[in-house]
Amino acid sequence: MAVARRIAPAPELAGLFPRIAPQLPGGGALAEVRERAWRRFLEQGLPSVKVEAWKYSRIPQQVNRPMGLARPETPPAAVVREALAGGPHARRLVFANGIAVPSLAHLGGLPQGVRVLPLEEAIARFPERVAEAFARIEDDRGFTDLNTALCRSGAWIELDPGVELTWPLQLLFVAMGGEAAAMTHPRVVVRLGEGAKLHLIESHVSGRDGAVFTNAVLQAEIGEGARLVLERAVMLDADQTLLDEAVCELAAGARLLANGATLGGGLVRGELEVHFRGEGGEALLNGLYVTRGREHVDTAVRVLHHAGGCHSDQFFKGVLDEQAHAVFAGRITVAPGAQRSDAYQVNRNLLLSDEAEVDTRPELEIEADDVRCTHGATVGCLDPNALFYMRARGLAPEVAEAMLTYAFAAEVVERMVDADLARKVRRAILRRVPGGARLETEGLLEEVPA
Amino acid sequence: MNGKDIPMAMLEIEKLHVSVEGKPIIRGLDLSVDAGEVHAIMGPNGSGKSTLAYVLAGREGYEVTAGTIRFLGQDLLAMEPEERVAAGLFLAMQYPVEIPGVSNMYFLRQAVNAVRKARGEPEIKPGEFMKKLREAAKLVGIPEELLRRDLNTGFSGGEKKRNEILQMAMLEPKLAILDETDSGLDIDALRMVAEAVNRMRSPERAFLVITHYARLLNFLVPDRVHVMIAGRIVKSGGRELADELEAHGYEPFTAEAA
Amino acid sequence: MAASTDILREITEREYRWGFVTPVEEELVPPGLNEDIIRLISQKKGEPEWLTEWRLQAYRRWRTMEEPRWAKVHYPPIDYQAISYFAAPKQKERPKSLDEIDPEIRRTYEKLGIPIREQEILAGVAVDYVFDSVSVATTFRKKLEDLGIIFCSISEAVRDHPELVRRYLGSVVPPGDNYFAALNSAVFSDGSFVYVPKGVRCPMELSTYFRINAAGTGQFERTLIVADEGSYVSYLEGCTAPMRDENQLHAAVVELIALDEAEIKYSTVQNWYPGDKEGRGGIYNFVTKRGLCKGRRSKISWTQVETGSAITWKYPSCILQGDESVGEFYSVALTNNYQQADTGTKMIHIGRRTRSRIISKGIAAGRSQNTYRGLVRVLRGAEGARNYTQCDSMLIGDKCGAHTVPYIEVKNPTARVEHEATTSRISEDQLFYCRARGLSMEDAVALVVNGFCREVMDELPMEFAVEARKLLGISLEGSVG
Repeated sequence: MAVARRIAPAPELAGLFPRIAPQLPGGGALAEVRERAWRRFLEQGLPSVKVEAWKYSRIPQQVNRPMGLARPETPPAAVVREALAGGPHARRLVFANGIAVPSLAHLGGLPQGVRVLPLEEAIARFPERVAEAFARIEDDRGFTDLNTALCRSGAWIELDPGVELTWPLQLLFVAMGGEAAAMTHPRVVVRLGEGAKLHLIESHVSGRDGAVFTNAVLQAEIGEGARLVLERAVMLDADQTLLDEAVCELAAGARLLANGATLGGGLVRGELEVHFRGEGGEALLNGLYVTRGREHVDTAVRVLHHAGGCHSDQFFKGVLDEQAHAVFAGRITVAPGAQRSDAYQVNRNLLLSDEAEVDTRPELEIEADDVRCTHGATVGCLDPNALFYMRARGLAPEVAEAMLTYAFAAEVVERMVDADLARKVRRAILRRVPGGARLETEGLLEEVPA
Repeated sequence: MNGKDIPMAMLEIEKLHVSVEGKPIIRGLDLSVDAGEVHAIMGPNGSGKSTLAYVLAGREGYEVTAGTIRFLGQDLLAMEPEERVAAGLFLAMQYPVEIPGVSNMYFLRQAVNAVRKARGEPEIKPGEFMKKLREAAKLVGIPEELLRRDLNTGFSGGEKKRNEILQMAMLEPKLAILDETDSGLDIDALRMVAEAVNRMRSPERAFLVITHYARLLNFLVPDRVHVMIAGRIVKSGGRELADELEAHGYEPFTAEAA
Repeated sequence: MAASTDILREITEREYRWGFVTPVEEELVPPGLNEDIIRLISQKKGEPEWLTEWRLQAYRRWRTMEEPRWAKVHYPPIDYQAISYFAAPKQKERPKSLDEIDPEIRRTYEKLGIPIREQEILAGVAVDYVFDSVSVATTFRKKLEDLGIIFCSISEAVRDHPELVRRYLGSVVPPGDNYFAALNSAVFSDGSFVYVPKGVRCPMELSTYFRINAAGTGQFERTLIVADEGSYVSYLEGCTAPMRDENQLHAAVVELIALDEAEIKYSTVQNWYPGDKEGRGGIYNFVTKRGLCKGRRSKISWTQVETGSAITWKYPSCILQGDESVGEFYSVALTNNYQQADTGTKMIHIGRRTRSRIISKGIAAGRSQNTYRGLVRVLRGAEGARNYTQCDSMLIGDKCGAHTVPYIEVKNPTARVEHEATTSRISEDQLFYCRARGLSMEDAVALVVNGFCREVMDELPMEFAVEARKLLGISLEGSVG
């Protein structure tokens, strides 16, 4: 009767590593780290719904099936062109099924002190440093270990102290479905030296229909007084799955602005973990999910105030239509002694269909007294006052509803930094909101001040 | 000035009774407004003034238990809120709603075109719209920056009220209801709003000005003043009635009504 | 300066005021739990066969279950075989009138401030006095009987109103609901039973006062309240226990049933022994309380002031089954020293236009841990359901913790659910202001905390609000300085 807390990996998955280990990049220290992660993965298995953090998510069960590793290929040029973001000067790495496509990289003219390279190249040049970075994060979710063990590609991004990359850097991941389901485990390592500045854009788009399971891990170390802007947009197909974990470590006075939007994908789970390791850090985290069909979008945010005097603010909104299911779990932890912590969290959800479901679980875990922490969560329908106001200005109810739904979602987009990405997200919202397509043709997006 | 002598008044309210959550608020109200007229409805808090405004605009939650309202010969109560706007009714609200994510300018253009469409007119050309908008904005003292911001979001109380008048100017209604538009306005803003309304006065257009104080009426001179107490109009008169109220307050009327 | 330090010491070292032991001879069943013990308890209580069997079923179920570990509370394993599951003051039979009650027991309740009398301060309250495992007295019985209201111990109800008990017992909290509910179902000793007939408004507060006295025992009471169509009842429970170095287990079950248009207001002032300043001793308060709004437009309102117990684990809940039914939960949970509280509520919206409201105030001082844990679930059919939740936590000192863990699950698009929570330190400004007006630090803290809890305290029946306010002040003693 009782459900086990852990799911044993499917036999095909359990037998995978020994078979492919010799072909994985890196040897020596990295091989050891991989080996260790794999053993842990086999021991721990995958989390079941009995594990609190996965209570509303059956993703682990759903991905625990025979799947080969995705193969390198070249994504269609039109798809890449459509997904470009970051403006005319943006530098870029393009990945097809999680594997870097060298011919599409644009990394020329990077300033002194900025190193951006595909992960496999980093492994070839300094395997010990990569091994050391990989070993730094491990958790009990299983998927991080799986990534560490099986990762073949990704990006290594390093900025020396005081260096600023003035153009955005885009990591464009194109999922290319094939006849058989395939999985990929890209890893991104970001290291910002003291006072460095980086604007990173991560896009996940579909290049071709078909089941692809992307198990991505991003780890960022943000040095003292450094600043990272991390923007992420997910627009995948209904049979594609993305598990994405970002772990950010903030030194004293470091700043993080993370903006995310999920506008498509059968199963998407975005995990964001922020650790304040020094005083005076700031993390502003904004997220949006607009879901429909049978999509399942799961957002897990954990902000840990280990050091005092830091400020965190979470702002997450969701729109759910048809049979979509969204889950939000946000936790603020203030460790003993982390005085003068300031932490906010808001999660608002709009339910448009009587078959949709939302589960939200904001959580406060406070062990210091000189703090100001608040959270709020709402689930509801459109505000009848606003609807009336619009109708009292002559708008038809369905137009008013579409406009309000769009506006509800757009509030998050207003916080986005990159105009290209924001425009793409706005367009995607309009295409997903009932009646939104009409607003687009009527020029809603043109009116929005840039 | 008696509405009954004219075959068809613009707005004709007869024996209106309205309840909110089962509680009677308007209890037998009669009112007739002709084109070209400015009527003021004055009354203390809780007299049902704003309820009347919302009933005219068609807000949900206001149950008309008896009576009729005809607007330009049509049964107003049978119309949806947006149909009333298309027919030429406009309510400047006491508490305009903030709608983050929708720009003021975009919203206005949507509203103008929705009304035009309902009237069988073509959409307004972007150039024409901008010209008209700039003129109207200047008239009510709304800076261009406010037009680009999200609808009413982060506006001050005065800016919201001026924005309501701006919308009125753009939608060119036949009957405009101003619900406590003067509350929260300083004297300069009040003058500006009154000036904008005065400019819009014409033989084809009527105004129903709902207010608690007489000061707006110093700038916006009404043809008729009605005193509303406990859901009924207890006295009607010319503009001198407003001065009387200013001098003696509502108490004499309240006592009478009781 | 010296004087104020003395006062502070005196206050901080003052002990739990309800911690005395009554020297009465008690009858205890031997420690341990097995089917024979359960049969023995059932036999002592002269129960019918069906109830004995019901208990045994629950026991068998319990043996297959695991003790829940998800709450944010920590305690060493409980040896369920070391507990005596039945303790009763020796008496030949239940006294026929209030005058025949053992003078020692009578004195106990005098000392606790709730004398067994039908007069004076408790004139408006009928009380059922439960001493360890048995009910020793119930006041105002006659007056209530005249209105058709049944208010008696559950043992008497089993004997005198078996059809009602059989129909409703376990109907809201089934024996296998959870580990502690299963344990209670197997061994429950006494508790109160209330039935309010159709259309009757109970004219006085009904109250049960629970007292643990004997050592080496636990208390496993069971309360069942049924409000028939259109009726109203307000019920209050209070509880205390002697100071002992051992941890004693209290695993109660409370079931409420409100039929069409009925209303039940259930208030608790929980003041079990919290343990000493080092965290030794105290009651483990593992309680299952649940109300079923079975009828349309029915209403169940829980109000709790939790200041006692070493560990509190309870989630008074409402199942809003009837259309337009209403559930409320008002809670103050105050923890000091090494106390741990994990408490909250569940609101399950099933019927149309059901409404719920949750107001929770947590105050953590000393080295205590205070958790709000709640669930708001809106099922698909709950058209137009509404919930509003406000959870505020206050921290006094930097060694304690306050945690908020709400779960919100919504499956209906017309529902509106709002949750807000804040956590902050007791306001220095407010404290300073009070002290600048001449209040001592202790009084200032009590005043500020009372203000913080006001919304909840206002929900308590008047007779108990004053006591509850004092209790907050007393429970905070030693939290500052």
